[in-house]
This record gives sequence, C-alpha cells and structure tokens, in this order.
Amino acid sequence: MAEPDTKAQKEQQLEADSKRKTYRERKEVIRKNAKELDLPRKRYYRQRAHSNPFSDHRLDYPKYPESMDWGKFYPAYHDKETNQMTQDVEIADIGCGYGGLLLGLTKEFPDKLLLGMEIRVQVSQYVEDRIIALREKHKKQKVNYQNIAVIRGNAMKFLPNFFKKGQLSKMFFCFPDPHFKQRKHKARIITNTLLSEYAYALREGGIIYTITDVEDLHKWMVEHLEDHPLFERLDKEWEAQDKCVEIMYNATEEGQKVARNKGSKWVACYKRLPTPTI
Amino acid sequence: MKHPFQNIEATSTHLFATVKNSLQVFSLNDGILVGEWLDTVDSQQNLVKQHQAKFEQLQKQEDIKSSSEEPETKRAESNSKTKIPKFPTPGPGAPPIYNYIRCLELTSDEKYLIGTTDSDKSIIIFELDFNSANCLKLVKRQVFPKRPCSISVADNNTTAVVGDKFGDVYKIPIDCEPPIDEKLLKPILGHVSMLTDVLVGENEGRQYILTSDRDEHIKVSHYPQTFVVKHWLFGHDEFISSMIFPSFDKTLLVTGGGDDSIYLWDWIHNKALASFNLRSLVEAYLNESHYPPERFRTETSVKEICVVKIVSSGRKIFVLLENVTCVLYFTINEDLTFSIDKVLDVPHPLVDLTISENQLIGASDSENILTFINIDPFEVVHNEISSKIAVLNPCDVSSRDDFYPLYAMNNLRKRSEH
Repeated sequence: MAEPDTKAQKEQQLEADSKRKTYRERKEVIRKNAKELDLPRKRYYRQRAHSNPFSDHRLDYPKYPESMDWGKFYPAYHDKETNQMTQDVEIADIGCGYGGLLLGLTKEFPDKLLLGMEIRVQVSQYVEDRIIALREKHKKQKVNYQNIAVIRGNAMKFLPNFFKKGQLSKMFFCFPDPHFKQRKHKARIITNTLLSEYAYALREGGIIYTITDVEDLHKWMVEHLEDHPLFERLDKEWEAQDKCVEIMYNATEEGQKVARNKGSKWVACYKRLPTPTI
Repeated sequence: MKHPFQNIEATSTHLFATVKNSLQVFSLNDGILVGEWLDTVDSQQNLVKQHQAKFEQLQKQEDIKSSSEEPETKRAESNSKTKIPKFPTPGPGAPPIYNYIRCLELTSDEKYLIGTTDSDKSIIIFELDFNSANCLKLVKRQVFPKRPCSISVADNNTTAVVGDKFGDVYKIPIDCEPPIDEKLLKPILGHVSMLTDVLVGENEGRQYILTSDRDEHIKVSHYPQTFVVKHWLFGHDEFISSMIFPSFDKTLLVTGGGDDSIYLWDWIHNKALASFNLRSLVEAYLNESHYPPERFRTETSVKEICVVKIVSSGRKIFVLLENVTCVLYFTINEDLTFSIDKVLDVPHPLVDLTISENQLIGASDSENILTFINIDPFEVVHNEISSKIAVLNPCDVSSRDDFYPLYAMNNLRKRSEH
C-alpha cells in the first residue's frame, strides 16, 4: 500500500481501515455461528497479492493427515455417530484465491470433496464467508455447496500434513505468484523438489492443472514438469475435451481479469505416471 | 582464554575438532597434533564475486551500446551513463556473519573427512593420510548456492549428500575431480524449510535419504530415485535437530529436537515405536538461558529444552541437550522402548558430543576444552591429553564476549506472531 501523503488522505485511509475492520469483525462473529445470507463483499477483504511462503506464519495444520478434523469443513459428509468422514477430499485447488474455481467445479463434481488452500488470511476468510453464505442460501437446492471448503495454509510446507499418499485425483495451480526475480524462484509453487511431494499426494493417473498469464512462468512450470520422471504432459486434444480446463480458463477471478485486460492465458496439464518399481 | 571447540568427531584413534575457521586433528593416544587446516577464504568473497560479475555485465552492456552505430539521442546518452553499483555493506541491524566450520562427517571407511564452511558456502573434502606430516589433504572444495548445513554419505562412501539452509539436498561425488559450477548444481530433493539433518539409510539393498527440517517434518525418500517420496514420519511437535540410526539396528531411528521428547521409529514401515519425555530428568539442570528470548517471553513461558546431539553405541543412546551440565544415557530395550539408565553430571556444559570406541568425548565450554566420559561404567574420567589439546587450540580470546554463539540451536524454534 502506498504511503498516504496528505492529512485528508490519511484520515480517509484510517476510516476505510476501520470500516474494513469492523466489517470483518462482524463477519467473524457470523462465521462462528455459521449463518449468513448475504454474500461477502470483496472490497472488505483486500490484501496485498503476495505472501512469503518461507516465513513462519501462525498456521493451523494437523500433525498428520489422519488427525485432521474434516468434519468441521464438510459437515454434510461427516457421520456424527462414527465421527468419521463418509469420504475424503479428492480435489485440491492450491492458492485458490477468491474461490472462483471451487464454485465452478462444485457443480461438475457433486459427489467429490473439493478443498481450496490459500495462504493470505483475508482472502481465505472471504472464501469461507462466501461458502457459508452460499450454503445457507442454497440449502434446499441440488447444488448446495456442501462439497467445497477452504483452508488457510501453506501448501508448499504442509501439504503432507493434510493429504495421505495418493489421496488426490486432481490438483489445480491457477495463476500462481510468478516471483519474477531469479533469487525468488524457489518460492514458485512448481519446482522439481516440490513436484515430488505433489506426486506423493496424487494417485496414479491423477492430474496437475496449471494456468498462468505469465509466459515465462508457464515455460518454467512446463520445464520442471517435463523434467520430473513422474509426470507426463496431456496433449491439446485432451485439454480441449476436458471440462476442468474450460472452467479453469473461465471461472477463476484471475482468469476473468486477464480476459478483461485481453491478456493471454497459458495452460499445461500433466498426468501422474505410475511409480516405477524400485 | 581458549575458545571452546564447536564441532568434534572421532575415530577410535583420532579426534577431529573445529573452532571458528580452523580444523585440527589430534591423536587420542597422546594428544599430539597430527593435522590442521585453516579456512583462509574471506566471508566477503562471495559478495566480492557477485559484485564483480554485476560490474562485468554492466561493462559488457556498455560495450555493446558504444559499438552500435545508432545516433546518440538524449535518452541513449543518459542510459549510457551506467551507475557503478555500490558494494553492499550490511546495515547496523544486520545479523553478524560468522565464519566457521559448521559440521563434520567421516566416511565409514574413515578415508575421508567432509566439512562445511560458512565463508564461501562450500563443502570441503579431505583425504586422510596419517603417514603424512599433516594428515588433512584437501581434495575438493565445492561451492553451493546456499549455505550447506548437514552432510551424509551414500553409495559406499563415494557420494556426499548435502543439505542446505534453504531446504535443498544435493549430491556430490567424493573424489579429487574439480568442483562443479554451483549454478549447474541441481537439487535432488528439497523441503520448503531449513534442513536440520540428513541421513542416508539402507535396507534390503536399497538406499534412502532421511531429511529433517524446522517444520517438524522427517521425510523418507528413495535414493537414487529421490523423486519418489516413501513417506513422512509424523510425531514431533517442534523442529528436529538430530537423527541417528542406533548402531545395533539400522532399521530403527532415534530423533530429537525442540520438543520435550525423543522418539524411536521404525522408519521403513513408518511406525513411531516409542517416545520418552526428558523434561523431568533435566528440569533441575535448566537455567535462565532456557527461557524464550525476552521479547517472546510471557508470564506463562516455560524453560525450553533442545536436543543438540544424539550418539549411539549398540543399544545405548546418549543424548546431549543445549547448555546443560549433564548427559543422558538411555537403553533401547528388547521390546523397543526407551529406558533411562543414568543422568550423568558433567562439570561444564558440552557444546558437542562424539563417540570413540568405549568412551564419549565432549567439547566442553570451559578451560578444560574436552570432557572424557567412560561408557561402562558411565562416568566422567580424567584424561591428561585434554590439557595438551587445550594448549594446541589455536583460538585465543580475551573474554566470553568474543565467543561465537555456542548455543544457537534453540533459535530454530518458530515464534511467529501473525
């Protein structure tokens, strides 16, 4: 945020800040009671676009996947009697932003559980509020948004705390932070070393979806995925017939922004190959 | 006064010890110095190199510009006056850079000693030849992009596996070949967290790499197929600082770190077999220094325990904690549980601990420099070579203020506020 230079601007800023704060505090109470009909308004959840994935944020994450309390996130899929989930999360949107992709996918995969992970506190709160409101609003409808949820977390560090080996069938990386500077490249979400961890969470035949509006980043992701022995690129024909690619291309907030600005979007999808016998 | 040794490693006959940027080898028979090496690389070297590269690049750009025959417009003119970049000097609040040899690792055949230097972020490989006047012969100095902080050895002592502070792991052949350009090095696996220890394990003819980090993770990957993660060993609540295979059974693993307990694992089948809470054993040894730093301290803050080193001999496990005057002696029982045998008082806190056949050697934070501990019976014994070695220690300082930080492990603890 730029430094406000005049007194009036400063006051305006302060007022806006406190307005956002009170709005979010009110939402906090509502979130706890999990009842809200109004859709949250994005402008109260603004946050800068970057977050340092290396820093020690105060995060909640389970000690190991089996200790995760998923019932809190998907109450409709939680059996109170056995205290067990009726099914596991299978699709993950890493860096889900404002949640556009989740909303797009929920109708496409009504019988699967989808999870968004977002490192920015306020952005993840916005998605949470959005889901609470949608669930309440569409209670009696077929698409009731019970199969999507969001978690504030650092997927680069703690993905294995959430997901068991081979638990996921799809992972989405939509418009990730490009980290242009060379010395920041390790902060990119697709790197050789992280791909081995994604390959662990993905089952054989599972798919990694990537999309970006930065050509250099696209080349980087393709280069690293090509290089990794456990991934194989899916061709253009496959992309053309896949519903998720279409949703990813059009449904995400970032994707729509790029389209508004008439920018280009690059897509690359990779299949998780079987682990070779060692 | 003498600066305590920061890192020690031993064979049955020799002791390897580092203090600041020097490495020495002593005969354990008579305390005679048989080898030494001083790191003469200036810690600014990397900066100088980077600065030079930047400068040369600018020069090149300039050359291209001047050789092109475009008519000079006003804009080109202002562009051509390229600023010479300033040499970066750390600001007043910047953390001090220490130049020391961070860790030592011997190959199992005791032919090579491998260490890391902070000065130029490299690993140093020495061939050991005790027939020569100086037994340390530097055969390779491999620079890394980030500071290496842990070493293990794979492929029958022909490969060094090196973990760095940025979370990446590299492999380097142990030989006399010239080093590889650091820009061409590619990590074989990595964490998005500072690595604290690296181990190479073996089972049924297959090799594995175990890596531990600041975020409570222990990852088991196949080797050399490091792109296949076998699993994570979950259980620790804090950073891990030390991992060891007990020498009687290498399918077991003992780990310790910033939490109150040490753990015993079947690392191949991903089972936590046992844990042992150390707090009640060492509570009496903790002092003011074990509280969190002032700015993180609250009324409910408790003294923090931190395992520095675990050493094993058969079923016996010895645990050293940070800045305490005791060494813990455990046994791994037949039923794969821990039992505590003895909490041994030592006269001064130990900075590092190593094993040489039937005795433990500690790097003592005192004028005595070394503490010798007999294993059976488990007691501190006097050894006259300690005073001989103290004299040979090359690092004289005028007061404790000139010490490098000796008890820095606890800084790995996460204390984030947001």
